Amino acid sequence: MPPFIQSRNISVVFKPKNREPVTALNDFNLEVAKGEFVSIVGPSGCGKSTFLNILLGLIKPDTGEMQLNGAPITGPSQERAMVFQEFGLLPWRTVAANVELGLELKGIAAAQRAERAGELIKLVGLSGFQNHYPHELSGGMKQRVGLARALATEPDVLLMDEPFAALDAQTRDLMQAELLQIWEQSKKTVLFVTHSIEEAAYLSDRVIVMTARPGRTKEILQIHLPRPRDYEMRLTPEFNDIKATIWNTLKDELTARSEYGA
Amino acid sequence: MELRAFYQEHYRAILGTTSVLTLIVMWELLLTFVIPLNPFFFTKPSLIAVAFKEQVIHGALWSDLVVSSRAFLWGFSLAILFGIPTGAFMGWRRRAEYTLDPFLTALYASPLVALAPLMIVVFGVGLLAKAMLVFLLSVFPFIFNTFAGVRSTDRLLINVVRSFGGKERDLYLKVIFPSTLPYIAAGARIALGRGLVGIIVGEFYAASEGIGFAISRFGDTYKLPEMFAGILVLMIGAVVMTEGMRKLEAFLAPWKTSQQSR
Repeated sequence: MPPFIQSRNISVVFKPKNREPVTALNDFNLEVAKGEFVSIVGPSGCGKSTFLNILLGLIKPDTGEMQLNGAPITGPSQERAMVFQEFGLLPWRTVAANVELGLELKGIAAAQRAERAGELIKLVGLSGFQNHYPHELSGGMKQRVGLARALATEPDVLLMDEPFAALDAQTRDLMQAELLQIWEQSKKTVLFVTHSIEEAAYLSDRVIVMTARPGRTKEILQIHLPRPRDYEMRLTPEFNDIKATIWNTLKDELTARSEYGA
Repeated sequence: MELRAFYQEHYRAILGTTSVLTLIVMWELLLTFVIPLNPFFFTKPSLIAVAFKEQVIHGALWSDLVVSSRAFLWGFSLAILFGIPTGAFMGWRRRAEYTLDPFLTALYASPLVALAPLMIVVFGVGLLAKAMLVFLLSVFPFIFNTFAGVRSTDRLLINVVRSFGGKERDLYLKVIFPSTLPYIAAGARIALGRGLVGIIVGEFYAASEGIGFAISRFGDTYKLPEMFAGILVLMIGAVVMTEGMRKLEAFLAPWKTSQQSR
C-alpha cells in the first residue's frame, strides 16, 4: 500500500519577470501517514509554503509528483483544505457565510450548509458570532473562522500555513491547545508549516527540518511525547531537549541563508 | 449643563447648520442695509425664496425638472451599462487594458464639455444630445473605478476560493464582483457630479426646456431670483443624490465604512 501522502522528487522553479529564476524546492521527498500530525520548519523562503500549495493543488511542480492515496494531485479538491496565515476571510461575508464557502462551492443545499456551519462555529467556540463580519472580530477569532471553514468540507488533509503567526502569544497558546483537541477527535492528517520551533515540537508527531533555499528535507525528527499533550509538557526538560535538537538542526540553515544577505 | 451636553452630542450638525444660516443672513443684511440693492445685478435670499415658491407652485420648474432628469437618467444608465463591463474587461484582460488605455486616459483628462457642440450637430437639439453628453462625461469614472476594483482584488481571496474547488465563474461571482462593488459605488459618486455638468452645459448650449435652459434664460433676462431658484433646485438634487450614493456605498461595503473618507 502506498503512503497516504507522498512527495516524490518534487522541484519547483519560479521564474519572475526580469529577475533570476528561484528554485523554491529541489528534489523534495516526504511521506506522511494517514492521521499523522507533521510540522515543517525551515528558514524563510525555503519553500515550505510552496510545498503546501502543491499539496493544495494551486501550484504544479516542475518535476516530480505529489500523490495522495496513491493518486497524483492535479488540482484543488475538497479532500484537502488550507488554513491561511492571513486568514483569507471574505470581508463581505458573515462568519457563517464564510464557514459555508466550501459547502456552497460543493453545491450543498442552504439548509444543510447552515446546519453544518452552526456545528463548526460551535466547535471553534464562536457561537453567537454567526452574523458578525470579519472586521468585527479579533485575529484569534478570525483564525477560528478560518479553521471552521477548512473543517466544514470534512477534508482528509488539513494544511496549515503558519496559521497562528499573526496572533499574539497567549491567543496562540490557546489556539494550539484547541487545534490539538480538534485533531485528537477528528484524526485528520495535518501538515503544519511554522517558524516556531516550540509550536512544531508541541503539536507534532514528526517535525521536518528543511534546508535553506532551494529547500529539501534536512532531517526528520520524531517527537516522542505522549498524547494527549498539555501545556505542562512544555515545561519539562524532555521538551527542552527536543527544542534544542530542532534548533541545532535548523541553526546552520539560518546562517547559510544570511550569507546570501537575505 | 444640559445645553453643553446637547452641543457635545450634535456639534457637527450644529456647526454646519449655523454656518449656512449665518451666510444666508449676512447675504440678506448686506444687500438690504449696506449695499443699496440694484435688483438688476444683485439679489438676496428673501427674493430667491419668493421666486422659488412661485416657481414651485406656478412655474415651469417641475416640467423642467422632469425634462432634465429624463435626459440625465438615460445618459447615466447608459454610462453604467457600458462603463462597468468595459472596466471589468480591462481589469481581467491586460491586452484589453493596453489597447483601450490611451483613448480612455486622453478622454478622461480632457474637458469633454468641449464636445457639446459636436453632440448637438450629430444628435440635434433635445433629449438625445443631452443624454449623450451626460454619458460621455459620466462613463469614465465607472470604467476606471471598475477597472481599479477588479485589479485590486485580493489574490489571497482568489486562491482561497480556488482552493475550495471554485471555478472561474465562482471567482467572478464570489470574489471579484463583491470586492469591486464599493469601487463602483465610489465611481458613481464622481460620475454623478460630472453627469450634472453634462446636462446643464447641454441645456445652456442648445435647448428649449430643462433646468439648465431655465437658469440660462432667467440669467439672460436678468431675472436673478428666478435664476437662483433654478440653481437651488440643482443643488438640492445634487446633494440628495450624492448622499444617496454614500448611503449605498455604506450599504454595499459595511466592512469599509470605518475607513471611508469623503
